[in-house]
Amino acid sequence: MTEKNDLIATKEITLHMGPQHPSMHGVLHLILDIQGEKIVHAEPDIGYLHRGTEKIAENLLYHQFVPYTDRLDYMASMSNNLAYVQSVEKLLGIEIPERAKYIRVAAAELSRIAGHLLAIGAWALDLGAMSILLYAMREREYVLDIFEMLCGSRMTLTYLRVGGVRYDFTQECKDACARMIELFPSRIDEYETILTGNRVWIQRNKGIGVLTAEQALDLGLSGPALRASGVKWDIRKDEPYLVYDRLDFDVPTGTNGDCFDRYLCRMEEIRQSMRIIRQAVRDMPDGPFNVDIPEICPPPKPDVYKNMEALIHHFKYVSQGFKAPKGEVYSSIESPKGELGVYIVSDGGEKPFRLKLRSPSFMNLQTVNAMSEGMYLADVIAIISSLDPVFGECDK
Amino acid sequence: MNEGKGRFDIMELIKKVLFTDFVKGLVITFGYNVSMDSVITVKYPDEEKWIPYRRFRGLHTLNRTADGRELCVACELCSKACPTRCITVIPMEDNTGRGISDRVAKVWKVDLVRCLFCGYCEDACPTRAVRLGREYELACFDRNCAVKNREELLRPQPVPEEMSGGVVAKARLRTTPDGIEVVADLSETRKRRV
Repeated sequence: MTEKNDLIATKEITLHMGPQHPSMHGVLHLILDIQGEKIVHAEPDIGYLHRGTEKIAENLLYHQFVPYTDRLDYMASMSNNLAYVQSVEKLLGIEIPERAKYIRVAAAELSRIAGHLLAIGAWALDLGAMSILLYAMREREYVLDIFEMLCGSRMTLTYLRVGGVRYDFTQECKDACARMIELFPSRIDEYETILTGNRVWIQRNKGIGVLTAEQALDLGLSGPALRASGVKWDIRKDEPYLVYDRLDFDVPTGTNGDCFDRYLCRMEEIRQSMRIIRQAVRDMPDGPFNVDIPEICPPPKPDVYKNMEALIHHFKYVSQGFKAPKGEVYSSIESPKGELGVYIVSDGGEKPFRLKLRSPSFMNLQTVNAMSEGMYLADVIAIISSLDPVFGECDK
Repeated sequence: MNEGKGRFDIMELIKKVLFTDFVKGLVITFGYNVSMDSVITVKYPDEEKWIPYRRFRGLHTLNRTADGRELCVACELCSKACPTRCITVIPMEDNTGRGISDRVAKVWKVDLVRCLFCGYCEDACPTRAVRLGREYELACFDRNCAVKNREELLRPQPVPEEMSGGVVAKARLRTTPDGIEVVADLSETRKRRV
């Protein structure tokens, strides 16, 4: 074998893949050193979508930064909203009402479904199964319709606010969620029928991009990709936030740590998310959906028109925001892509002194080299898709 | 044990030769091809148009009272609340009854290129003058038309407030010298197929 390789001596060349490559995710630029068709070294070159989000946060009031978090992982913006407002709440040391917690869980899981659907759809499209993308988009459209009903926007939601949520989770939304839960399982089974047994899908994913549990932990992988390597680590289960400790759901794990396991993990997570939504919508109590602290959450509009005190709070909230105590805080959630953490340093003012985002796409991308070494060039597509990086989040 | 394994392999081989994995998938895609109920696309803009839900955050609108007076009192809270500083408000005195108070907006303009459509101006407005409406066709030819002025935003909305939305309405494409517009017929609507 080696002799043959010596005979056909190929020179190692460097290939630039992306950012204009049709099957690259967003604006990822991969610099690949290849020997023939085999990858010697893969290096992601990022930063094409850098917008200085962390710096923007330093110049905005705490509540004004929420719309910017939508633009991080724009496929599942509710999770970003959640990560940010949760860490601000931790800094302020406030406890949100029960109803708001259930609403947040339901909303975050809806966005997880939307994110995973697109991840699988785009992945299948990259590997040549176009119909899955169309079906996944159809289901995603339904989830986006729920979002439009809930908060008036389909992608950049800005639904959560520090101290609660902006709009109520109406009965109409609950009905739409119930309809989704009865509609989706058969659709997800359809994807599985098309993909899971398909020989092309298996050949392009099984045994590709294998990462052992130790390697995955060493490289700081998180999310479905880490769980596919056999590490049972889900922040929703292990460090529960909101009401996840009261809900019954499973954390799917894989055994081989290859692309196929990551696919199966994502599929199972969609099903588990629907279980969570069913429970969250069922158990959602009545009551207020914002904290009763007028400095942090201005009183509802009807009060503002009649009550002088409320009007003062409203003006103060809009024009000056609220002051957070001096200190540092880190809080993280399980976003569709992995661990999304927000670290805030406060100097006691109404703007963060420093804000750091631990974005899962960025952290996960550093495993690309370990996964693709020795693989074929075409496998890199499957590997990148299996990590599902979103560049709004990676480049920040 | 070995025999059983051999049998199993033969079954697998037969399945492979008969392309059962492909056939299963093709049955699904073919099923969608023959049934007309499964068409989920909307014939936009020629025949249909999506009417968004009531909470939809589209183009800004400035509202009036029932007797036609402007609700805006030019308090500038919307421009303060805006994360991108895209709203410009210049107040002026006017006691002719144009607004609900003596202070009205001389200039109220929003730069849609910068706008995030977060709806914070709507939340900040103490008189419910600013609302984010249901207009979403905002494409234009140059940047000047991306800045919307008070006069333009004060026009009545094509979709009335009472309509809850979330439906696909019959529409037609109209070509005017200024460009094209999609006019929806709100009396004839249908739910989106899922």
